[in-house]
Amino acid sequence: MSTAEPAVVRMGHDLVRHLEHLPGDQAAMEIATHIKKFWEPRMRHELLARIRWGDTTLHPLLVAAAGDLVDGEVDRGEIKEPSGG
Amino acid sequence: MTLIHEPDLGTPAVANDHDVTLTIDGRAVTVPEGTSVLRAARGAGIDIPKLCASDNLAAYGSCRLCLVEVEGAKGTPASCTTPCADGMVVRTDTDTVHALRHGVMELYLSDHPQDCAGCARGNCEIQALAVQTGAAEVRYGRGGASHLDDTADTSNPYFTYDPKACIVCNRCVRACGEVQGTFALTVQGRGFDSRITAGGTDFLSSECVSCGACVQACPTDALTEKSVIQLGMPSRTVVTTCAYCGVGCSFKAEVQGSGDDTRVVRMVPWKDGGANEGHSCVKGRFAYGYASHRDRQLSPMARDSIDDEWQVVTWEEAITRVAEGFLALREKHGVGSIGGISSSRCTNEEVYVVQKMVRAAFGNNNIDTCARVCHSPTGYGLNHAFGTSAGTQDFASVEQADVMLVIGANPTDAHPVFASRMKKRLRAGAKAIVADPRRIDLVRSPHVEAALHLPVRPGTNVAFVNAMCHVIVTEGLWDEPFVRERCEDADAYLAFIAGPEHSPEATQDVTGIPASDLRAAARLFAAGPNSAIYYGLGVTEHSQGSTMVMGMANLAMLTGNLGREGVGVNPLRGQNNVQGSCDMGSFPHELPGYRHVSRPEVREIYESLWGVTLQAEPGLRIPNMFDSAIGGSFRGLYVQGEDIAQSDPNTSHVEAALRAMDLVVVHDLFLNETARFAHVFLPGASFLEKDGTFTNAERRINRVRPVMPSRVGKDEWQVVCEIATAMGYPMSYAEASHIMDEIAATTPTFAGVSFARLDAEGSMQWPVTQAAPHGTPTMHVGSFVRGLGQLTETVYVPTTERANRRFPLVLTTGRILSQYNVGAQTRRTPNSTWHPEDVLEIHPSDAELRGVTSGDVVELSSRVGTTRLTALVSDRMPAGVVYTTFHHPVTGANVVTTENSDWATNCPEYKVTAVQVEVVTQAARANAGAGADVPADAVAGRP
Ligand code: SF4
Ligand code: SF4
Ligand code: FES
Repeated sequence: MSTAEPAVVRMGHDLVRHLEHLPGDQAAMEIATHIKKFWEPRMRHELLARIRWGDTTLHPLLVAAAGDLVDGEVDRGEIKEPSGG
Repeated sequence: MTLIHEPDLGTPAVANDHDVTLTIDGRAVTVPEGTSVLRAARGAGIDIPKLCASDNLAAYGSCRLCLVEVEGAKGTPASCTTPCADGMVVRTDTDTVHALRHGVMELYLSDHPQDCAGCARGNCEIQALAVQTGAAEVRYGRGGASHLDDTADTSNPYFTYDPKACIVCNRCVRACGEVQGTFALTVQGRGFDSRITAGGTDFLSSECVSCGACVQACPTDALTEKSVIQLGMPSRTVVTTCAYCGVGCSFKAEVQGSGDDTRVVRMVPWKDGGANEGHSCVKGRFAYGYASHRDRQLSPMARDSIDDEWQVVTWEEAITRVAEGFLALREKHGVGSIGGISSSRCTNEEVYVVQKMVRAAFGNNNIDTCARVCHSPTGYGLNHAFGTSAGTQDFASVEQADVMLVIGANPTDAHPVFASRMKKRLRAGAKAIVADPRRIDLVRSPHVEAALHLPVRPGTNVAFVNAMCHVIVTEGLWDEPFVRERCEDADAYLAFIAGPEHSPEATQDVTGIPASDLRAAARLFAAGPNSAIYYGLGVTEHSQGSTMVMGMANLAMLTGNLGREGVGVNPLRGQNNVQGSCDMGSFPHELPGYRHVSRPEVREIYESLWGVTLQAEPGLRIPNMFDSAIGGSFRGLYVQGEDIAQSDPNTSHVEAALRAMDLVVVHDLFLNETARFAHVFLPGASFLEKDGTFTNAERRINRVRPVMPSRVGKDEWQVVCEIATAMGYPMSYAEASHIMDEIAATTPTFAGVSFARLDAEGSMQWPVTQAAPHGTPTMHVGSFVRGLGQLTETVYVPTTERANRRFPLVLTTGRILSQYNVGAQTRRTPNSTWHPEDVLEIHPSDAELRGVTSGDVVELSSRVGTTRLTALVSDRMPAGVVYTTFHHPVTGANVVTTENSDWATNCPEYKVTAVQVEVVTQAARANAGAGADVPADAVAGRP
């Protein structure tokens, strides 16, 4: 059956593990950009909702990145290039 | 169209800038220096007879039929082995050569059956040659020694070898070696006693991989397709493209009859095929019978609940049910509650139309494709590094490669025709570095031996590629001018990769690759001078798949191996149209041509053409669809030609998602595993019935031409258009070519593509633009598509899926030559002769520890599920790693694979699952000791 960890938490933490090496604010920025670029709005909503509920399992970097996300809006400035994958 | 006989010029073309001019039968002929007289003459329309020569084989000079006279030269040389020279005067039509040829032909005929079935069928060159040489009446009589009592070898399911008709011209032996690279055939005996043999055994038990090259090479009826024996000779040809793997071989479908009575007699590889140049593998050549298999569903069906029986319905009713069902779900649960999955098995035109239906009629971006589960990290990583989501070279580029680094790919099984090209180059002296946990065939096979086999542990590719780059940078082997001129963020990257944590000594315990071997591999790759990377799903299907793709891009950039022939980063794509389905906007975040949905100027192109407003937000990926289905917000799914219940990881999770949906529509050839959860089944068309294009791994757009009309009465794109129309968004095209016209008009990289252009050019590699009207074989010449190449700090982040006390082994998966993916097609052909079931390969020491011997039924369990398989003890795997394929549904290999996925693209981590293996039933061990292991070669499960 599906595992205990909700998909957005698992995916968010995957992003953290692969991008946390970036210096300064860059890690949170890259994670936020990735989520804007590739996550469907309801997944972003779910992540933001978890943060609002005070989900303590979330990595601080993911929480910081989510600060950059606004429900239902894409930052078009970030997504100039062809996108791949 | 009638039957196409492709001209055979007798010897291979010679690449030489220097031309020579000679006179043949009084005509001046100019050819590249080194060309044989036979080829020069035949090219000029002078038909010198030949038997042992063929233009895909090196000249052999044994039959003596091609004799000519050369002024000033002694005797009558064989024209196939005589190179042209400036000023040479050749005569092909003298009494002397006629008499000699006549005599030679008589000798052949004296040992050739008078009632040869091949003559009757017209499947033999001998008859025509006898007439051409005037030897139709034989002087020697037929009373002497002959081979007319020899018996035929019918063991191969697809072709027979009848020694009676064999003239021992050696073409088959040479084709097996030179073209296929298997060397299964030899000539046994001498002189009159000489016979062709498959290693002293029958074809089926031999090393033969059933590629068909020998059958094609045979000038007589000795090697003949069983289908020809059964059905007789074909009467017309349709040139089309194989629908199996990403090599994209071109074939002549040779058929009898017309319209609904069309019958395929055989598929013969097309010499002008850009990808295969006349070669084939057992799948494309022979395994097409599934298209007429009795399991094929030819009528639409529907049912209210998945527990009900299927009811056959009319097309009209099926389409109404689908459209009304999706509309009702959208009404009740919102616009994002429905979506579609398109297939990398379908044509570009079909895939384009599916994403258009989802975007324009469903009104969302919930479109994804099965490329999600195979090469999505390729798209992500190569786009990030170079600015385009595709491989950098054409296949022919391998002929210029000096060093090939093969990572996580098993080309001899999964991309066999390209593997033959690789092996040819390796036999000519190029060196191979194979990085793979398994000792795949490329490590050692006849006349090919890899310079190094690096048995990289599953899940540690990034550590491996970083170590390669570390050695190249710290030993000063990198191409500084290239990096400085063409790449960005070089200093940061160089500092990162020089860190001691990346050294081979520091990483050898992680990767399992001895530091000295890794250093040797890095030095070899850097020395090149042309070094090329070829990779497959052993790279992408990891939690760091995208990072690894960027890591390989780093390696190619560091060593300056981009932007010319012989080099590059080359994904070997799994399915026939993975490249195309990605190109066609099948991902939920991008429109055709890899342009993000958030870009207003791109949406505007489609909004004005389609007359709708498009969503600017990305849609759901396949795994997100499953999660949302279980969560209740995703309720309806259209699935085209993909068996997600069998091919996607963590089967029980997928099944729970499918069960949770209110409407599942399956559009397929067969009632597959996914159809168990479907409410409407729409019958699909096989590749033999399609009109469209496939794009292969080298970006080559090939035509798929209808060999017969659709057996279900409709084209797939037409069905999709009808669903959209019934949903209130009118969509229609008069013919498939109009869909390509729309693609070309809206996608810059396809600007110059049309069916007419493809028909005229044969095939084209995108980008096809005004600047590159014939396409682009090699990309990134002079500069990258994104400008500067992006060097990326590829930090190695181990997977969370690790062996532990409960699950101490690592399972990795792959495929074998005769079967294809979930086996829906190949299992329905005689290919199952070679692979009746999936087996679990396990290392002798792991087997011994668990009391497992070959043939035992074992239970394979992971943290998500359990399945049963037959064990095969094999030392092709390193200790600690077990391996299986997923071609048979009963195996349920994906019952055990987990939800882990690539961090960037959610491509599942099929290649790493922590598992345990336990014996369930022991095989009979009557006279076998406990170590009754199967020798490694048997594991190959040929073909
Ligand atoms: S079919 Fe078998 S024997 Fe014939 S060329 Fe291919 S591998 Fe060799
Ligand atoms: S190599 Fe691939 S494309 Fe070519 S015949 Fe085989 S399966 Fe078909
Ligand atoms: S064709 Fe030249 S010797 Fe046979």
